[in-house]
Amino acid sequence: MISALNSALDDIFGAMRLRRVWIALAHEDIGDQHRRTTLGPLWLLVNYLAFAGTFVFVFQPAGKDAAGYAAYVAIGLMVWFYLMEVISLSVPLFKREESFIEGTTLPLFVYVMRLTVQSAIRAGYAVAGCVMILLISGPPLTPAWLWSLAGLLLILLTTPALITVFAFIGAFFPDSEFIVGNLMRVGMFFTPVFWVYNGQGTIQTFAYLWNPFTYFLDIARIPILMGKFPSNAFAFTGVAAILMWAMALLLLGRYRRQVVFLI
Amino acid sequence: MVSIKLDKVSLVYKLHEKLTLSAPDRRLGATGGRIEGSGRKQFVQALDDVSFELTAGDRLGLVGPNGAGKTTLLKVLYGIYEPSGGTVGIEGKVDALFNINIGFRREATGRRNIVLRGLINGWSEAEIEEKMEDIIAFSELGDFIDLPFKSYSQGMAARLAFSVATALDPEILLMDEWIGAGDASFQEKAKRRMDELAEKAGIIVLASHSESLIQSVCTKRLTLKGGRVESLTTAPTKRARTATKF
Ligand SMILES: Nc1ncnc2c1ncn2[C@@H]1O[C@H](COP(=O)(O)OP(=O)(O)OP(=O)(O)O)[C@@H](O)[C@H]1O
Ligand SMILES: [Mg+2]
Repeated sequence: MISALNSALDDIFGAMRLRRVWIALAHEDIGDQHRRTTLGPLWLLVNYLAFAGTFVFVFQPAGKDAAGYAAYVAIGLMVWFYLMEVISLSVPLFKREESFIEGTTLPLFVYVMRLTVQSAIRAGYAVAGCVMILLISGPPLTPAWLWSLAGLLLILLTTPALITVFAFIGAFFPDSEFIVGNLMRVGMFFTPVFWVYNGQGTIQTFAYLWNPFTYFLDIARIPILMGKFPSNAFAFTGVAAILMWAMALLLLGRYRRQVVFLI
Repeated sequence: MVSIKLDKVSLVYKLHEKLTLSAPDRRLGATGGRIEGSGRKQFVQALDDVSFELTAGDRLGLVGPNGAGKTTLLKVLYGIYEPSGGTVGIEGKVDALFNINIGFRREATGRRNIVLRGLINGWSEAEIEEKMEDIIAFSELGDFIDLPFKSYSQGMAARLAFSVATALDPEILLMDEWIGAGDASFQEKAKRRMDELAEKAGIIVLASHSESLIQSVCTKRLTLKGGRVESLTTAPTKRARTATKF
């Protein structure tokens, strides 16, 4: 146990010393994805706005809830897309980095941080779009917004752990790529991303209360929409973050030297 | 003190998928490691009981048929693979040239790729800055250095890879079959740089099928077969032989 922890921390500190590597690689990744396009990474903003706009337009309830719904969907989609992208890109992470893993001795956490930075940069464009929608649709700007910011930070801090855990799952069980892919696609409908929970139906209740993603969405959404601190959601997300990190350290410590033989 | 010490090192690749083998009773050919086990528990014994020691100034040539375990041994020395058994002791800063494309980004220019490579090798920004012009000059890529890497030929890529890998005077340099891609004049130049490196009390381990290359570069020769050491000889090189004439 102790030796696993030491080994994991070795890997993580090694990666931290090489931070310029993953920062540089992440920027290259973003640059490559948008090379030769006119808008460049601004496409990420356009994508987000098109998606959020469609949802608002199609699902917006009539009457005075309308403004609140736009903000609800804007934040919900932002967080959901971020988590979905992070998870679906983590599962095949080690396979994707195969040539590096088989040709260099970089710590595995370098690849984890590379994806973290890349996802964070991409999410930045969605955040910009989200702020635009919030300013237009107009929930009042209150100090409670800071709790939403804290919520986003908590999600960001959980990201490397999430990536590590799913990357190891992907390395050990090749089938998981497809299972996770399907779950994430279906998951959108079982998570209150664009539908609002107000006590209706058993499936909705179940999907609201027992879906961990609900709480990740709530910590970013409730402070802005309701002007209050969602203590339950924060507590749940905090515990989930700690568990994820514990699992990530364990996997990294135990199995990091095996990954090269698995991919 | 730069040194390499291997003691009874073995390495097993576990196969998670079934190997497609036509005959169940296979003979032990000259090619490849040994395939053992059956069904879902098959594995390849790529290295078996490999022991040797190298000290400063040694230039080891790894030879043997395809699949003998040369690349695997280099990767064990570099630290990519943890051996399944035995111990590896390495003193010194190691650099390696396996696949010339590793760490190079196709879309980025040669110059940017030098920076990325340097960062991956753990160099500081100042070191990269300082070596940049040397590396470009040694590679002789000229104006191509500011073109994307994808516009390079195999040999040009090999030039860049070799120039970067040897720029910071690694104490131990591991090389796998890379040199074939460079043209004659670059091979000559590369050999000189390897000589310099070895004279600075470094260690070179070079795996190759080219007899002339091994003879002109190496002072020792390790023959692998089916993952086992068949022989380890200290061969007088051409240079040593000509040197004794004087
Ligand atoms: N990733 C892998 N998974 C399973 N077996 C492997 C793997 N890599 C190599 N092997 C096996 O290990 C043995 C040694 O391979 P290695 O690549 O070290 O040979 P080599 O001496 O470098 O050959 P070559 O001269 O063709 O480059 C071979 O039998 C090969 O089939
Ligand atoms: Mg080989």
